[in-house]
Amino acid sequence: MNQVTTLSSQADALECVTAEGTGKVFPGPVVALEDASFHVKRGEFVSLIGPSGCGKSTLLRLISGLIKPTAGRLEVFGTLVSGPRAEIGMMFQKPTLLDWKSVFDNVLLPITLAQTVTKADRKRAMDLIHLVGLKGFEFSYPRQLSGGMQQRVALARLLNTGAELLLLDEPFGALDEFTRERLNLELLRIQSDLNATILFVTHNIQEAVFLADRVFVMTPRPGRLAATVDVPLPRPRAIEMTKSPEYNDLVFNIRDTLGGFI
Amino acid sequence: MSAETTPIAQSARRGRLPVWSQHLIVFVAFITVWELAVRNEWVSRLILPSPFDVMFAWWDLAIVKALIWKHFFVTLVEVLAGFALGASFGLAIAILSAMNKTFRRLISPYMVALQVTPRIAVAPIIVAWLGFNMEPKIAIAAIICFFPIFINSLTGLLQADDERLEMFESMRASQWQIFRHLQLPGAMPVIMAGFKTGISLALIGAIVGEFVSASVGIGVLIQRFSFQLLLPEAFACLIMLTVMGLLLYGAATFADRRVVFWRSDDLVTKSARRLRAKHAALLKGRAD
Repeated sequence: MNQVTTLSSQADALECVTAEGTGKVFPGPVVALEDASFHVKRGEFVSLIGPSGCGKSTLLRLISGLIKPTAGRLEVFGTLVSGPRAEIGMMFQKPTLLDWKSVFDNVLLPITLAQTVTKADRKRAMDLIHLVGLKGFEFSYPRQLSGGMQQRVALARLLNTGAELLLLDEPFGALDEFTRERLNLELLRIQSDLNATILFVTHNIQEAVFLADRVFVMTPRPGRLAATVDVPLPRPRAIEMTKSPEYNDLVFNIRDTLGGFI
Repeated sequence: MSAETTPIAQSARRGRLPVWSQHLIVFVAFITVWELAVRNEWVSRLILPSPFDVMFAWWDLAIVKALIWKHFFVTLVEVLAGFALGASFGLAIAILSAMNKTFRRLISPYMVALQVTPRIAVAPIIVAWLGFNMEPKIAIAAIICFFPIFINSLTGLLQADDERLEMFESMRASQWQIFRHLQLPGAMPVIMAGFKTGISLALIGAIVGEFVSASVGIGVLIQRFSFQLLLPEAFACLIMLTVMGLLLYGAATFADRRVVFWRSDDLVTKSARRLRAKHAALLKGRAD
């Protein structure tokens, strides 16, 4: 991590993700992503939106280092992505909790994998569980939790990796509308507390606009980044904002952009 | 929730007898019909001994002469040792196969060959190799129970879902850590199911070994009594084997439930309560 910060020059200090003509072709060949170029600044919240097959999950996996690009460049914090990194964390649509571990041990997992667990680590895991609103459930097992609570655990685990760039792949997509709305609000609160950079994949336009500073609109066959839309709405965001004409204009604007492709 | 209404409660509501008494009635009826069939000579006493004959024979062998126990424990030890051996090999080779694709490819034809060959047929060969003591029975039990344990363990180890694997990879986990924290615990339900099948097969293996050649063991007794047409005694020994099988299967089921505790609401609740109490004690200790 230190190495990364020393490598990045002063001018790039605000730069978090840089893609230049990044593409991914899977054997087949299937063009999953073509010629994506963009910048994401530190502390920014970016939503990736588009129909199935537009390459949004592929893009997230490329940035996470789980898969390698077949074309172009991809840098995170000023260095080329060559594999998973400590400062990049990922969260999935499924909670992917370990059923045989308690909430506490699940949240502690990133530390367990990286080093010997200290008293301070335990304290921090406990704090994170409270941060995501699971006080009283520290020693419950995933089986005893609702879907929404399980995703809260997954979020606490993600935060416990200490990652500064959080990649969320439809994290609340499997949850009901109410739970989803509440978790989105909490995500915004947590993001402003921790000043994390977030890339958030969704296929819900309202959600994408509500959360983001910018929305990347992606289109399928082949997957490409069709447009980036700025969301100049004030923060902190509240549900009332969804009634404002500015918000609704943005939603319709994005729907029009996508319209030709769905 | 339907799990909360026990069968007893259900039958009571419908005005029926509790389940255990239904079982008792069927059992008593079965024994009665058997007894009547023999007493009225519907079946020859030489072919089928009456339940009371079997009971007296058992009483004689187990309590009066007390000679059955030595055989019982020899067979039991053969089964347990054979199972331990077969399970260790089955699990170890499954782990190697799961970790290494080349090993898996190279070994699979032999595993298929072992599966399609009737493994009981190796019994005489094993006896020729290992002699007449307990070793050949242990080896046969091990060979017979090896395969389901191997195949279950391998299936379980390979079934980890992609998202969990990606989650571990994104946390830069080593292959050993993925195995230790994800694959092995994730495979435990299937591995334990393999153990349950394996323990019953190990019993078959030990008995087959005893049939081929032995001087001690329940299998030997059954063979000896049958040759002498002492069928009540043979049946008494058979019942001992049923008891042994039930004990072994019960132990495996118990172990399964404990090991895979996260599949049971009950045990998960208990475990959570224990963790909470431990944490509370720790906090209290710190405060003092």
